[in-house]
Amino acid sequence: MDFDIQVKVAIYRALAATGQAPRADEIADQLVVPPPDVKKAYARLAQRRLLVLEPDGVSIRMAPPFSGVPTQHRIQSAGVQYYANCAWDALGIPAALGRPAEVISRCEQSHEPLELAVGVAGPEASSWLFHCGVPAAQWWQDIVFT
Amino acid sequence: MLFFRSEELIDAWCGSRAIPRRPTVRMDQLWQLAVTWYATRLEPESRRPAPTEMRRIFEGIGLEGDFWDPQADTFSGEQ
Repeated sequence: MDFDIQVKVAIYRALAATGQAPRADEIADQLVVPPPDVKKAYARLAQRRLLVLEPDGVSIRMAPPFSGVPTQHRIQSAGVQYYANCAWDALGIPAALGRPAEVISRCEQSHEPLELAVGVAGPEASSWLFHCGVPAAQWWQDIVFT
Repeated sequence: MLFFRSEELIDAWCGSRAIPRRPTVRMDQLWQLAVTWYATRLEPESRRPAPTEMRRIFEGIGLEGDFWDPQADTFSGEQ
């Protein structure tokens, strides 16, 4: 398997297992490779939009749909708590995990809580809505804002 | 990319921030997007949809127009 793919899979599986973004040295230990090699792979994965890194170049801000930092979009599944980057990713985490989850978020205007049960076939019937203010052609101009 | 309880609350949120009102997406449509983007994300062979694929994916679940086209070089914002 391509080294970058090994790093990507290790990152995503660690996030799926714990809800926490792994440190680069943890990935290096797991793959038994030098930490600088992992750091270079992080940069390449960021170029491919599979990661969004903090300015230090090694801390994971986003591994979509997972967030490396707390957000208003929480997901609970099998006793693990996750944070999603946005409303889309809040459903993306149950889709990635392939198991039932509870999405906990809010209406951005009224702050009414949202608690949405999501099964393996999708969310329960709900009249809640999703709104994106940024056109698709501009999503990656500032993905954190998007 | 946010959740809202109703169309009226989206109107209020956009209006108070001078943010253009965009098309809304239902939860069943959002689930289809989530599955398309992320269902294989933990697997080695996963990949993001290419820009050339995205407009077709969006149209397939009823999300049409340049707003959803990642290759649109102009966007009127009039949807």
